[in-house]
Amino acid sequence: MQKVIGSLTFRYIAKYLLVLSATVFLVVVGLYAFFSYNYFRDFSQSIIEEQETLQIVYEGQSLVGVRRYLQDQRDTQILDRFHYLVSDRAGDKMAGDLPESTGYREFDDGWVGFELALLEWGESIEVDFIAREVTLGDEYSVIVARSYEQAVHQARLVFATLARTMIITILLGLIGGYFAAARSLRRVEMLGREMSRIIRGDPSQRLDASAERGQVGELAIILNHLLDQTESLMHGVRSVSDNIAHDLRTPLSRLRNQLSELHHSLPAEKSEDVERLLNDCDSLLASFNAVLRISTMESGNRHAGGGEVDLRQLLSDVVELYEPVAQESEIELDWVTVPNASCQGEADLLFQMFANVLDNAIKYTQQQGSVRVELAHNSSNEDSGYRVVISDTGPGISAEHWEDVFRRFYRVEPSRSSQPGHGLGLSMAQAIAHYHGGTVDLEDNQPGLRVLINLP
Amino acid sequence: MNVLLVEDDQSVAKFICSELERVGHRSVHCTEGDLAYDTARDQAFDVWVVDRMLPGRDGLQLIQDLREIGNETPALVLSALGEVDDRVKGLRSGADDYLVKPFAMDELLARLQALSRRGVNNQDGTTRLQVQDLVMDLLKQNVSRRGLAVLLQPREYKLLEYLMRHAGQVVTRTMLLEHVWGYNFDPQTNVIDVHVSRLRQKIDKDFDTSLLLTVRGAGYRLGPEAQ
Repeated sequence: MQKVIGSLTFRYIAKYLLVLSATVFLVVVGLYAFFSYNYFRDFSQSIIEEQETLQIVYEGQSLVGVRRYLQDQRDTQILDRFHYLVSDRAGDKMAGDLPESTGYREFDDGWVGFELALLEWGESIEVDFIAREVTLGDEYSVIVARSYEQAVHQARLVFATLARTMIITILLGLIGGYFAAARSLRRVEMLGREMSRIIRGDPSQRLDASAERGQVGELAIILNHLLDQTESLMHGVRSVSDNIAHDLRTPLSRLRNQLSELHHSLPAEKSEDVERLLNDCDSLLASFNAVLRISTMESGNRHAGGGEVDLRQLLSDVVELYEPVAQESEIELDWVTVPNASCQGEADLLFQMFANVLDNAIKYTQQQGSVRVELAHNSSNEDSGYRVVISDTGPGISAEHWEDVFRRFYRVEPSRSSQPGHGLGLSMAQAIAHYHGGTVDLEDNQPGLRVLINLP
Repeated sequence: MNVLLVEDDQSVAKFICSELERVGHRSVHCTEGDLAYDTARDQAFDVWVVDRMLPGRDGLQLIQDLREIGNETPALVLSALGEVDDRVKGLRSGADDYLVKPFAMDELLARLQALSRRGVNNQDGTTRLQVQDLVMDLLKQNVSRRGLAVLLQPREYKLLEYLMRHAGQVVTRTMLLEHVWGYNFDPQTNVIDVHVSRLRQKIDKDFDTSLLLTVRGAGYRLGPEAQ
């Protein structure tokens, strides 16, 4: 609701309605002024003409004629007729249907408007009149009044209708605007949802620009262009590192093979140097392979499912594999599990992921420290996936680096570089977790580091 | 060892053939899948090395077709880039081993050795493995050297069993991971070395001759090099 009212479309429609109503109001006021001016001119003119008629009647037939004329006027049943008061010099009523003591106010131009209580119907009704007083000959004066009640009534009617129409227009406009805004907002929201889905998931997907019309469609096309560019940039960066890794792998293996040949033909005392070179080659090749595997998993689709993995067995294999390493450094390795845990996944990859994390934990834990591996259900609901927590009592990683350690080749601090490795372990672990639809998070173990791996 | 190499990349093929020749193996090279099918059907080989992407007939298809006509020669598949599920797909199609290019020649040689010797020390009916004075009784699941019992953890037993089945051959670290632990992954540290040195402690410590040797730059070997 709040969002729709705050939306661009709704605000635009509301502004438009405001301007439109103001314009209509001004036009109506102008028209009213114009028509009422003309109306009152004709109105006064008709009174003057009536008085002229009375003059003529008086000149021809004196007061008797005037009386008859007035009677005739009264008898003709027209609604919008004149009212008269003929009085003599003393102010006594001689003829006419207006009461004797009619009070009126005089206006600048001689015209008078007065409120008159018409007593004919026996009750007092406030009616607007326009009246004019002239003398008839020397003895009498006559007030001719005409009600503009009718006109006022009609004007009120017109005004009321106009006001209602405008209120209804504004109301309907706002309601219509609300729905139009909600609709366009839905489209924009859908666009936003689609975009975030594409960015999170598969960046090679595009918005369906042909399904959108107008500006939203244009926006979709622009966003698609943006996605094109982003994707090609991403590809660019990735393919540069992938190409380096890929293209260097072949010559590096050739080098390694030649070194290996050399190794066989060299005397024993020289062979140690070659061995070192061979080890360097192997570790370079291993990190290139790791980069390529990470890329493959990041660029590929999610794990399609199919393979059922016994997570408990797999983790206990990992723990068993690393147990002697931990024992060598006198590190206590604890292993806690739930009785049954199986998930969909690629066993080799999951093994790699846990091995990487556990390897790090043992590597960075000092002697007599402890490392704990814990497998549990993600929540009380048994279908909600698993959480594997691998915690150590090593120096840990300060929170500012938590984001960065997942980047390829990132090493936290120079002191850590003394440890073997290429800074790919956690990136690979994360790539594997994402590939399975899971996550890897870090927490402070006080002291040490806790790595939380969630798997669906 | 007589190797059939099916590989369309001439430079890779040339390298592999020359390396095989250097260590005393014979090899026949085919560049194309359909031709390889005929060659493998008509001649006997100890092992096939098959590239995945081949003109004519796909490498996995080739192995599958040969398996269908009852040819059980061990096959190793070479693949250009290790896609995540490639390995599984390769092993499912009837291949016995899988190696991602580019590879170290030592790794390929070790694996070919292991494959071609499958029939020798690895028969299903064997109940007893022996390497010099080291004896493993597969039924009683015990190990003794010179008559003295060697107490092993279950994983150490499996490790030793694999080494004994491939006695005299070079066994690489990845081969041990695949066959002893059952996972194909890339250990970042020397975790396998720790296990092997523990095993070595148990079988070699009190004896004057060492059986479990480290082959520098390649892996390990139990017993003297096989001819």
